[in-house]
Amino acid sequence: MPEPVVQIRGLTKRYGDLVALGGVDLDIRAGEIFGLLGPNGAGKTTLISIVTGLARATAGEARVLGRDVVRDYRFTRRHVGLVPQEINFDPFFTVEESLRFQAGYFDVRLTEARLTELLTALDLTAKRHTSARALSGGMRRRLLIAKALVHEPKVLFLDEPTAGVDVELRRALWAYVRTLRDRGTTVVLTTHYLEEAEALADRIGIIDRGLLRLVEEKTALMARSGGRSLEEIYVELVGRKEAAAP
Amino acid sequence: MISLGFRTLLSKEIRRFLRVPGQTLATPLLTTTLYFIVFGVSIGHQLREVGGVPYARFIVPGLVLMGVVQNAYLNSASSLFVMKLQGTIVDVLVSPLSYAEMLGAFVLAAVVRGLLVGGITWAVAGIFTGFEVAHPLLALAVVTLAAVAFAAGGVASAIWAQTFEQVNFFPTFFILPLTFLGGVFFSVRMLSPGLAAVARANPVFYMVDGLRFAVLGSSDASPWAGAGLVFLLAAGALTAAYMLLRSGWRLRG
Ligand SMILES: Nc1ncnc2c1ncn2[C@@H]1O[C@H](COP(=O)(O)OP(=O)(O)O)[C@@H](O)[C@H]1O
Ligand SMILES: [Mg+2]
Repeated sequence: MPEPVVQIRGLTKRYGDLVALGGVDLDIRAGEIFGLLGPNGAGKTTLISIVTGLARATAGEARVLGRDVVRDYRFTRRHVGLVPQEINFDPFFTVEESLRFQAGYFDVRLTEARLTELLTALDLTAKRHTSARALSGGMRRRLLIAKALVHEPKVLFLDEPTAGVDVELRRALWAYVRTLRDRGTTVVLTTHYLEEAEALADRIGIIDRGLLRLVEEKTALMARSGGRSLEEIYVELVGRKEAAAP
Repeated sequence: MISLGFRTLLSKEIRRFLRVPGQTLATPLLTTTLYFIVFGVSIGHQLREVGGVPYARFIVPGLVLMGVVQNAYLNSASSLFVMKLQGTIVDVLVSPLSYAEMLGAFVLAAVVRGLLVGGITWAVAGIFTGFEVAHPLLALAVVTLAAVAFAAGGVASAIWAQTFEQVNFFPTFFILPLTFLGGVFFSVRMLSPGLAAVARANPVFYMVDGLRFAVLGSSDASPWAGAGLVFLLAAGALTAAYMLLRSGWRLRG
């Protein structure tokens, strides 16, 4: 088996007395869609933040393509893309400018071909010269995804990409995530929608109160549970039911 | 080696303040022009020369320095703070940019804005009082180092600040009083010994005085005191901002 793209060992994060991550071990395999499922406050964002460099672990380590994310941050960050949970945008600049800046931060010169490809894929072509201020919520989220992809990362982290997104855009984003995976990008996405993990993920991890409770192939999980739905397994592990997708 | 990442952040920061020229360039231009008209021309007529220099000309270096440091501080402080507030700081934090590159880009963009404002101020004043500069290189060095010091201070306070009010704390309670009491509008020789001693405890006094020497060829204190102090302040502020940035405090959870 090839080396995992992301290796997480004993990852721990404390905020004062609060244990956001309580020693997580996890491998992400090359080319898979990994769905990290858990209720609000489970530690999903914290885990992603440590791997992408937005937060520092209290203990443990994370590696991307075999390199430590703190010591070798220059290397690992070149290969990681992040779509953060909270939408952000710079109202001073247009869609094209935002994408060019983001590529530049990664030492990448955005070619016209790549720009066109991203704008087309995320349905932003007509908004190319529009200020981010004038975009709708859904467009801003798509811009966020395009920004995360400018440097062609090998691993893409999507933190609750469809929270508060309408059904149509959710389906479109699912389709696009599959396309990315089929072209070789490894995808890690967090969600608290069971339906989303079930529809999209190749493997599923269930996290609760900073601990990984289960990691399994989706098909094996479905088969092993003998016809039980993911929801029943989830409720058994987490002890409560999350909202289904609206 | 200058990376594309650094150049990108620098050009983004410069374009950001050029997008709002009314706020970033016209406002300081107007206010310093008003200072000049009020203190330099109208009141200046009643005043004699200061150390053989017409009063209107005497205040030019101080006005330039004031514009430079206020704008250098404001640019890095507001830009970085707004990025924190909007969440766009994430774009930079997940990138491979090093701390030195980030700091360098924020500081350099702020220095560019400071020097632009200083240059405009100087040009406006020059129309009234002439454009001679006794030691141009020294003048450029003093304003640049002062801009670096305050730009780095702006980075540090944007990291620290959690509200806009806190961003404005330093300019309101330090920069404004220190520049006004720093001899922009007077010579310490006009002051009583007690007040002169207070003025001499003010770092901005040495910056103003150093620039005054560079522009007019004469000053109250040794020009080297001003140049030396502003160099130390710039180095100290850069170091502090770098350490803060690297610590991740209030930026990386
Ligand atoms: N900066 C922070 N300071 C203090 N507590 C935090 C901070 N960030 C997250 N937490 C806490 O850590 C826990 C995990 O949060 P998070 O990773 O955001 O959960 P999730 O993304 O799964 O909803 C929560 O209890 C949250 O309140
Ligand atoms: Mg979260």
